[in-house]
Amino acid sequence: MATEISRRSMLRYSVLGLGGAAVLGLAGCAPDGSSGPAATPGGAGTPTDFAFASWSLSEEAAKPAVQSALDAFAKSDGIAIDTSTYPYNEYLNQLTLQVRGGQFAGAAQLDVAWLSALAALGKLTDLSALAQGRGYTDAALGAGSLDGKQLGLPWTIGAVGLIGNAELFDKAGASLTPKTIEEFEDGLRALKGIGVIPYAASTKAAQLKDIVVWMQTFGSPIIEDGESTIGDEASVKAVEWYKKLYDDGLIAPDVDRAAARTLFAQGATALYDDAPVGKSSVVSQSPDASLGDKMTPIARPVLKSGDTPQHVLWGHLVVVVDGEGAATAADFAQWLTSDPQQSEAYFTELGLPPTTEAALASEAVSQNAFVEAFTSTVTSTAAPSPLWAYPSYAQMETAIAEQVQAVLIGQSSASQAMKTAGNAISGLL
Amino acid sequence: MSTIAPAPPVLTSEDAAPPITRRRRGRIRWGMWISLAVIALFGFAPVYWLLVTSLTPTNLVFTFPPTLFPREISFDHYATVLGNPLIFGYLRNSVIVSVITAVLAVAVSMYMGYAFSKYRFAGRKSLMYFVLSSQMFPQALLLVTLYLVFAQFGLLNTYLALILSFTTFTLPLCVWMLKGFFDALPDDLIEAARIDGAGPWRIFHSIVFPLAAPGLVAAGLFAFVRGWNDFIFALTLAGPDRQTLPPGLVNTFISEASTSWPALMAASLIVSVPVCVAFILLQRYLVGGITAGAVKG
Repeated sequence: MATEISRRSMLRYSVLGLGGAAVLGLAGCAPDGSSGPAATPGGAGTPTDFAFASWSLSEEAAKPAVQSALDAFAKSDGIAIDTSTYPYNEYLNQLTLQVRGGQFAGAAQLDVAWLSALAALGKLTDLSALAQGRGYTDAALGAGSLDGKQLGLPWTIGAVGLIGNAELFDKAGASLTPKTIEEFEDGLRALKGIGVIPYAASTKAAQLKDIVVWMQTFGSPIIEDGESTIGDEASVKAVEWYKKLYDDGLIAPDVDRAAARTLFAQGATALYDDAPVGKSSVVSQSPDASLGDKMTPIARPVLKSGDTPQHVLWGHLVVVVDGEGAATAADFAQWLTSDPQQSEAYFTELGLPPTTEAALASEAVSQNAFVEAFTSTVTSTAAPSPLWAYPSYAQMETAIAEQVQAVLIGQSSASQAMKTAGNAISGLL
Repeated sequence: MSTIAPAPPVLTSEDAAPPITRRRRGRIRWGMWISLAVIALFGFAPVYWLLVTSLTPTNLVFTFPPTLFPREISFDHYATVLGNPLIFGYLRNSVIVSVITAVLAVAVSMYMGYAFSKYRFAGRKSLMYFVLSSQMFPQALLLVTLYLVFAQFGLLNTYLALILSFTTFTLPLCVWMLKGFFDALPDDLIEAARIDGAGPWRIFHSIVFPLAAPGLVAAGLFAFVRGWNDFIFALTLAGPDRQTLPPGLVNTFISEASTSWPALMAASLIVSVPVCVAFILLQRYLVGGITAGAVKG
């Protein structure tokens, strides 16, 4: 059976189809409707409804604390706050799409690493005026500033540091306060002797960005005068040292952050890298009810005595996207991150370090031995990763991770791999 | 002149295949059983592990070395999942959008597949490959375009946005599946109906449609499962009130610092039940060969 359709008919249908596609394409390229005047933060005028985006609102542990803060602010101002939430791993992509598509204006929770990526869209409000006189620590304010503008107010600020199991260290006779790389390595060898994985360092590509802080420890600035320094002697030495730990069984293959937490929770490793936020996860999956008390923050060892321990900042900011409700959203961001009562309540419920001098000095913080120790030994010397200043920082971290992994599995030499990674990063700067 | 057909070759006992002895038959049977057991193990092991994890208390989930049977059994995770009203909201949304997507995809693709199979028109092959090539676009590319288009039309955070997007990426393969199915239907049958005076509409709905039922069910199930399992479109286009199960479960059980694996496993088992039921109820339609013998003589 064959029924003929004329060429003319086909042409007509094709034109209709292409017309439809053109309409859709134009719609996709149309202005996004959010290019209005920038909001004026600072509480001028009557409070208005605004939107708030946060991944914490979908997390069982954090949601009640965040929701009660939203309810309290909305009630006091007699406004409504429209919330949206996405899983942490998808959050930046979703928020970027919404902001780029003109579908989101208001306050948003942001990981400190993501600031430049979101700022590149050009829609974040400068909150410098709101950052004054609130008592934020310099380190916390630094985490939210970019190119001289205060684009985010710090909500919780900590760092990623080494966390040890004091009981296992004690059993092995290893030092919980190693000063230098050599002392640290001696401790790892002692830990190996008691049959645990000494250090659950990241060896899986997903988390191999952790090597950057070891490169800094060995003296590589990573970025200097706008140029990548990866491939220099220090970065190569750091990777060679990492490879030695790997070959000697002091670190294990296929470990990422989740695996490290699990190994630590099971008592299978004595040491891993994490931020304070990981503690509750580790404790909840451990059969050892007293593991929380054994978790001890350790200052990262240095290459030679007198060097400053290197730690990368970790934390959450609140940013404000220009548009409807942005002024009230900015007031909310300031209140949420620096109001004394609110800061203390948030810390008490979630154990996340606050960002103002007053809150850090409060009784609630000083009574939490883990956070107190973490803040003094790790966070005190933390700084943002030099790569975060660039919107394509994630691709840079991936380039490093892939090359370090090639070294670990013996496919490349450290010098060749770091040269390749450095070239890739130079292309992304 | 008459021709004499050559006599068939005579097979001798040396030419014949060696007889299958009882012992050899037994070995073949054992081989089959072992192969089937390995395949079954491969298929069921993940489901078994899902079940075991969902029944294990949180602090024992990562016990090393892992055990085949849980040391302790806990139904707490099922209670957690069933006690969470959000899960039922996600389930409802998934059912609504997946069922409508399946119906819509089948309704459109059956006409397209039939036209591609039984009609001859200029550019038919090019159009067919164009439809298939649209399947090759990266989902992220389609997603951004759809997001902006739906935003312009005010369709974000609606069921319609999800249904249209799911149908968009389901349709090409459904069309090709059904085209293949219609190709297998004999033209003689359609020609006979035409000679009897039936028009194209009548031919399709009274003759082709019933015969194509297994193909339509298969395409519908394919579209249903694609819609049911989709994560990224649902996450981006659905908004908080229309979110389906995949993003909903991730949102509920996976957080920045940890994943509640046992609860996630329990939820996954619970929500896979409707799909299993659908397959069990419809499996007879999935078996081909219903059209065999439609034309005799």
